[in-house]
Amino acid sequence: MDQLSWIVGGIAMAVLIAWYISYGAARLDRLHTRVEGALSVLDAQLVRRAEATLELANCGALDASSALILAGAASDSLEADTSDQTSREAIESDLTQALELALGEVALRRLREDEVVGAPVLHRVAAANQRVQLARRFLNDAVTDVRRVRRKPGVSLLRLAGHAELPQTFEIDDELPVLVRGT
Amino acid sequence: MRIGIVSPYSFDVPGGVQLHVRDLAEHFISLGHHVSVLAPADEGTPLPDYVVSSGRAVPVRYNGSVARLSFGPLTAARVGRWVEAGRFDVVHLHEPVTPSVSVLALWAVEGPIVATFHTSNLRSRAMQAAYPLLRPSLEKISARIAVSEDARRTVTTHLGGDAVVIPNGVFVERFASARRQPDWEGTSARPTIAFLGRMEEPRKGMPVLSAALPHILREIPGVRVLIAGPGDPDSIRDRMTTEAAAACEFLGPVSDQDKASLLASVDVYLAPNTGGESFGIILIEAMSARATVLASDLAAFARVLQGGVAGEMFRNEDPVDLARAVVALLRNPIRREQLAVAGRERADSFDWSVVAADVMAVYETVTLGASSVRASTETDSRWSRLLRSGRNSGGT
Repeated sequence: MDQLSWIVGGIAMAVLIAWYISYGAARLDRLHTRVEGALSVLDAQLVRRAEATLELANCGALDASSALILAGAASDSLEADTSDQTSREAIESDLTQALELALGEVALRRLREDEVVGAPVLHRVAAANQRVQLARRFLNDAVTDVRRVRRKPGVSLLRLAGHAELPQTFEIDDELPVLVRGT
Repeated sequence: MRIGIVSPYSFDVPGGVQLHVRDLAEHFISLGHHVSVLAPADEGTPLPDYVVSSGRAVPVRYNGSVARLSFGPLTAARVGRWVEAGRFDVVHLHEPVTPSVSVLALWAVEGPIVATFHTSNLRSRAMQAAYPLLRPSLEKISARIAVSEDARRTVTTHLGGDAVVIPNGVFVERFASARRQPDWEGTSARPTIAFLGRMEEPRKGMPVLSAALPHILREIPGVRVLIAGPGDPDSIRDRMTTEAAAACEFLGPVSDQDKASLLASVDVYLAPNTGGESFGIILIEAMSARATVLASDLAAFARVLQGGVAGEMFRNEDPVDLARAVVALLRNPIRREQLAVAGRERADSFDWSVVAADVMAVYETVTLGASSVRASTETDSRWSRLLRSGRNSGGT
């Protein structure tokens, strides 16, 4: 009798542990999928922003040197090595800075007055930048969640994450105060 | 885009969250999107055709106030069916930690999920206790939105991570086109001030106004205070001096149209709220109607008024400062006009056309390359399947 209850208890314990492991693994798997999805969204939005910046550089409303700076920063971004996150972060921050420099008061006014080319291009850049900000924030939220779950003792002890790399937040400067609203 | 929106609160009772959901849904429908709203509602309540009822709402005491919520396995089953029938590209949950339909939907859904946090007092004992249970489902949210900086701070401190701030919207045109009512317009001898809201609730600031009135009357004896909103006028008059009580005119609860007319007609709209405001949509409505706004310097109000650019501010809970500011404004029509113009311009950035475009940008970001929303294969739909089969066999 005593032995039997030990066996039953043992089986119950094993089932519980198995459930915990499979549940934890499924949860982690879902989180990793979310990070991957968010990362590919951010990737796509960064490309769109660079393309919109190239358009802006070539729209003719900017002076030649601003156009060159923008075109340079944008093509750096388009050619960036997507596997090297640190250098990519620097390149994207540079693109933000280039936009901020090029979009001075005079340039902005000239772009806004040109309703055929300038204003729509400016609007596209602003929209692309807003989407970069959103995508980056959603990615970082997902990364924070993964890292928190992976810190849990059970998860790290049992290696529930398998060989998946520990994801990193994506840190760039993407604030463009001049383009907020009214574009 | 096919959008599913979930409101935790019943549409029978007015409230900030429900209004937000309704306006957002109607705006997206007018743009040609497919929108379905899931919300609790009593049987027989007339609902707009885009609203699907999740079942009866029960008044429950939760987090210090009574809310009409809907829950239980039957509701969970309805949520599951709504998700399966909707074939949504994105599901947008409001208040995902309120024990109602939103939480159930969060369990029942897999795919692009957006959640909006409205409250700035999220911390509740229930939430803390149920945290381990809630946590994994909260991890399913792909994008979090907060309606104000305060709401965002609550999200960051209690849930970790971050949230995008997208404010509440206003249909500016509805207020901008309001007709002025001559009876509510001020003259130089008899200028008018408006107060709106539940006057008996101290945090709406009526006590501050009552204390300030004698000071105002000493400078401008003819001033008229128009008070609109539910409440018993006598309970307010009793706490005023006779002269102050005589200067007040109580309009009772007013329709949306009259509210807009009142805001458009008076010389100064006054918001002496002492706290508990995380956003201040009423200020934006007033600015839309081209009212000159005078408000207490709460953090939320200061943000809306851009620190005094779009409206004047006085020191919170300081009747003397309130009186000084009112008198200065009433004596300076040029300044009033300046503020009204600046306010009207400021209101435009809260128009639904702008706010909803920001929400759409969030939808587009989370749906990019993602598959559409589907019913979760986890516990909840299993629950609903079990229930359905149980009911079927029971019925035959």
